[in-house]
Amino acid sequence: MNNSIWIVFAVFFPILCGVAVLLLPVFRERIKLLRATGTVLVVTAVLALLVVCGKEQELLLLQFGENLKLYFHVDGLGRLYAVLVSLVWVLAGIFSFEYMKHEQEEKRYFGFYLIVYGVLLALAFAGNMITFYVFYEIMTLTSLPLVLHTRTRDALMAGMKYLFYSLCGAYMVLLGIYFMNQYAATLDFTAGGSLDMARVSGHEGVLLVIAFFMILGFGVKAGMFPMHAWLPTAHPVAPAPASAVLSGLIVKAGVIGVIRTVYYVIGPEFIRGTWVQTVWLILTLTTVFMGSMLAYRERLLKKRLAYSTVSQASYILFGLALLQPQAMTGSLLHIVFHAIIKSCLFLSAGAIIYRTGKTRVDELTGIGKQMPATIWCYTFASLALVGIPPASGFISKWYLATGSLESGISVFSWLGPVVLLVSALLTAGYLLPITIKGFLPGAGYDYKSLKKLEPAKTMTIPLAILAALAVLLGVIPNPLTAYISGIVSAVL
Amino acid sequence: MSKYWILAAILLPVIGGALTPLLPFKKRSQMMIYLEFLMLATSAIVLSLVAHGPMEIFEVIYFVRGLSISFKIDGMTMVFASLVAVLWPLAMLYSFEYMEHEGHEKIFFMFYSMTYGVTLGIAFASDMLSMYFFYELLTLVTVPLVMHTLKREAILASRKYLYYSLGGAAFALVGLVFLLVYGDSLEFVMGGVLNLEKIGDKTNTLLLVYLLAFMGFGVKAAIWPLSSWLPQAGVAPTPVTALLHAVAVVKAGVFAIIRLTYYSFGTEFLRGTWVQVVVMGFAMFSIVYGCSRAVKETHIKRRLAYSTVSNLSYIIFGATIMTPWGMTGALAHMVCHAFMKICSFLCAGAFMHQTGKSYIYEMNGMGRRMPVVFGCFTVSALGLMGVPGLAGFISKWNLAGAAVDSGNVQAYFGIGCLLISALLTAIYMMSIVIRAFFPGKEFDYSTIATVKDPTWKMCLPLLVFAAGVIVLGLFSSPLIAFFRDVAAGIY
Repeated sequence: MNNSIWIVFAVFFPILCGVAVLLLPVFRERIKLLRATGTVLVVTAVLALLVVCGKEQELLLLQFGENLKLYFHVDGLGRLYAVLVSLVWVLAGIFSFEYMKHEQEEKRYFGFYLIVYGVLLALAFAGNMITFYVFYEIMTLTSLPLVLHTRTRDALMAGMKYLFYSLCGAYMVLLGIYFMNQYAATLDFTAGGSLDMARVSGHEGVLLVIAFFMILGFGVKAGMFPMHAWLPTAHPVAPAPASAVLSGLIVKAGVIGVIRTVYYVIGPEFIRGTWVQTVWLILTLTTVFMGSMLAYRERLLKKRLAYSTVSQASYILFGLALLQPQAMTGSLLHIVFHAIIKSCLFLSAGAIIYRTGKTRVDELTGIGKQMPATIWCYTFASLALVGIPPASGFISKWYLATGSLESGISVFSWLGPVVLLVSALLTAGYLLPITIKGFLPGAGYDYKSLKKLEPAKTMTIPLAILAALAVLLGVIPNPLTAYISGIVSAVL
Repeated sequence: MSKYWILAAILLPVIGGALTPLLPFKKRSQMMIYLEFLMLATSAIVLSLVAHGPMEIFEVIYFVRGLSISFKIDGMTMVFASLVAVLWPLAMLYSFEYMEHEGHEKIFFMFYSMTYGVTLGIAFASDMLSMYFFYELLTLVTVPLVMHTLKREAILASRKYLYYSLGGAAFALVGLVFLLVYGDSLEFVMGGVLNLEKIGDKTNTLLLVYLLAFMGFGVKAAIWPLSSWLPQAGVAPTPVTALLHAVAVVKAGVFAIIRLTYYSFGTEFLRGTWVQVVVMGFAMFSIVYGCSRAVKETHIKRRLAYSTVSNLSYIIFGATIMTPWGMTGALAHMVCHAFMKICSFLCAGAFMHQTGKSYIYEMNGMGRRMPVVFGCFTVSALGLMGVPGLAGFISKWNLAGAAVDSGNVQAYFGIGCLLISALLTAIYMMSIVIRAFFPGKEFDYSTIATVKDPTWKMCLPLLVFAAGVIVLGLFSSPLIAFFRDVAAGIY
C-alpha cells in the first residue's frame, strides 16, 4: 500500500468528521458529541504521527489547472509543525470538554474545531505554494466561527475584523503568488528558494516589492505591525480553548507562511542586504516592543495575553528576518515554545473564567489561594515566556540574541538583543503580577471568604502537561535543537 | 449539421416566445411545459451546433457588397452561445415559481424567451453589421422586461436603460463605419481586419474611433461612467436581473468589446498605444468603483448589481491586456462570473420571494430558516471572493497571470485593483453571510418562524449553479485549454 495515502487520511478524516458533527442531529446529545470528538482527535493525532514518523513522502492529490496542484510533501518543517499542532490540539480539545459546558452551541464549536485541525495538518504537509494558499484561506474561513462563537455584538465585530485583516493579508500573498508563478522555476517548496534568475534579471525591483508584500501578507496572521490590530480584538472574544489554539497555532501558520516564502520560494539570498530586509527588521522590532508595552498597560487578562502574542510572534519573525542560521534556529525553537506556553496561559485564563467568571487582572487578587494548581501552571509558563533559565524561553531567546550579534548587520545586530531584553522585562512585568498577587494577596485579604475553586481534572491535566513541557523542553533542549538545526542547515 | 440549424436556433425562441400570449393554454402548467420545452429544444440545437456545427459563413440577407446579415460559428461563438444555452433553461425553470405572483406573466415570458433568440443572434453573428443588428434588437426586446412592474421607478429605469443603450450603440456605429472604410471587410477575423495601407497617417483618428466604439459597447458592459443604468434596472423581476443583467445583456456588451478589440481592430494595432492606457484605466477604475458602491449599498439586488459592474470590468481588464492570455482570462471570467453571479442573484430572488423583504439588514438569521438558499449563496459569495477551489479563483488566476506575463506596468497595478476588489467583495458578500448565519445573541428566531426554503423549481437551479461554481473551480483545465485555443485563433 502506498504510504503517502496516509497524508490524505490525516488531513481529510478530521475535516469530514467535523462536517458530520455539524450536520448530523445525533450529536445534539452532549455525551455522544464529546465521545465522537475525543475519538476523532486521538485518531487524527495518531494518523498525523504515522505520517510524521514515516519516511519523506509526497503526494499529488489534484491538478486543478496548469501550475495549480494540490500537492503534499512531508519535510522537516512540516513534521515539526504537525507534531506541535497535534499536541496542542488534543490537549486544548480535552480542556474544552469541561470548559464548553458554560458556552452554548457546543456542536458547532466542536465541528469547526475538528475541521480546523485537519486544515492545519494540510498546511503543515503542503508541498507547494498553491496548496499552502488554498488551506491558508480555508483556515481563515473555518476558524472564523470559533471567533464568532459567542455571537455577542463584540464577537461579531471582532469576527469581521479578523476576516478582513486576514483576507487582506491573503490577497497580498496571492499577488506574490501570481508573480512567483512567472518568475520562480517551480512553486514547489525548494530548500533555499526556486527563483529563476534568468527570468528575474531586469525585474529585481518589482520582485523585491512583491517579496515585501508576501512577507507583510503572511505577517498579518502573525500580528506584525502595521497589520496587528485584529489580533488583540479577535483572540480574546473566542472561547478560551479556541483563543489558545488561535494564539498558539494559527498565528504560527502565518509564521510558517513567511518561512515557506522566504526560505523555500524566494530564497534568503535574494533578500539579504536589500531594503526589504531592513524594513522587515524595523517592523518586527517595532512590533516586539509595542506588543509588550500594550500588554503591560492592558487590564483584561485575555487581551493582555493576546498583546503578548503580538510581541512574541515578532520575536520569531525578527529571527527569520536576520537570515542567519543561528537566529533561524532560535525562531523555530520559539515557534514550538511559544505555542506551548501561550496555549497554557490562555487555558489558565480560561480555567479562571470558567470557575470565577473574572476577566480583569485586578480582580485576581488571591486567585492562587483558590486555584493553586492552575496558577502554578500559569506561573511556570510565564517564567518560561520571560526566559528565565533553564525554562524553554531562555533557549530560544539565547539563539535569537547570539544569532543577531553574529549576523553582522549594522545597528540591528546590537539593537535586536536590546529590544528583546527590554521586552523580556516587560513580559515579566505583565505576567508575573498575577502570580504574585494571586499567592500573596496582602494583609487586607479576607481569608474567610476563600473557596476552593480548582477546576476538574480534564482541565488541570492538559494545563499541567503544557506547563511541564514549557519547562522540560528548556532543561533538555538538545534533541529538539539538533532536529531544528537539520532543517536550518538545509536552507541557509 | 446543416447551416440552417443556426437560423432555427435563433428563430425558435423568438417565434415560439411571440406565440405564447396567443396560444390557448388551459392551465398554467401547460404553458410552463411549453416554454420549458422551447428552451430545452433551443439549447439542444445550440449545443449540438457548437459541437458539430458548420464552419463556413452562412449569409441570410444580402444588402449590398460587404453588407449582409450572416452567421458563422467560431471560438467566441462557441463560448458565448453554449454559456447562454446552459443558463437559460434553468433560469426559465426558476422564473416559473418566481413570476407566479408578479402579474401579466404571459407578456413577460414572451419577451424573456425572445431575448434568448436575440442573444444567440449576437453570438452567431459573423460580422460587425450582423452583430450590430442583433445588439440593437436586444435593447428593444429587453426594455419591456425592465418595465415589467409598470411602477414609476420601473418606467424611469427602463427609459434610462433605453437612452443609454441606444446612445452607446450610436457610438458603436461610428466604429462600424470606420471599419467599413479602413478595413478589408466587416467580418470577424482573429487579429483584425484593418488595412494599414488605407489608414496611412490616420492612426490616431482610428484609435480615437476605437475608443468611441469601445465606450459605446461599454454601455451594456456597464463600464464607468456609463454604468448607472444597471443598478437602477434592478427594479425588474429577479429572473431578468439574474439572467439578463448578470449574463446575457451585459456579457453581450463584453462580447462585443472582445469582438471589436481582437477580431476587428486587432491587438497588434492597439497594443502599446495611448488608447490601451485609456481603456485599461477605465476598466481598472470601474473594478474598484463597482465594489466600493456595492459595499455602500443596502438593497440586496442593487448591491449585487454594483458587484456586476465591478466583475464585468474584470473581463474588460483581461481583454484590454490585449494578449492571447489576456483574452483567455477574459473568457474564463466571463463564464465563471456568469455562474457565480446568477447563483447569487437567484438566491437573493428566492429570499425576496419567500419573505417579501429586500434589504440586507432584514436578512438576519435567514441562514437557519433557508439553508439551501443561503448555502448556495455562501458558495457563490466565496467564489466571487476568489477562494481557491471555486470558480472565481481560476479566472482571477488567469487574469493575473496574463497581467504579469504581459510585462505591462499598468497591468501590474491592475492586479492590485483585482485584489482590492476581492477584499471589498469579501466585505460586501461575507457581511451578508455572517448576518444570515450569526444574527447575534439577542436575535429572536420566532420573528421569522414561517420563512422556509422555496420549492424544487427554485432550489434546483440554485443547486445546479452552486455545483457549477465548485466544478468550474476544481476541474477547469479542459475549459481553460479550450479558451487558450480560442484566443490563439485555432477555432
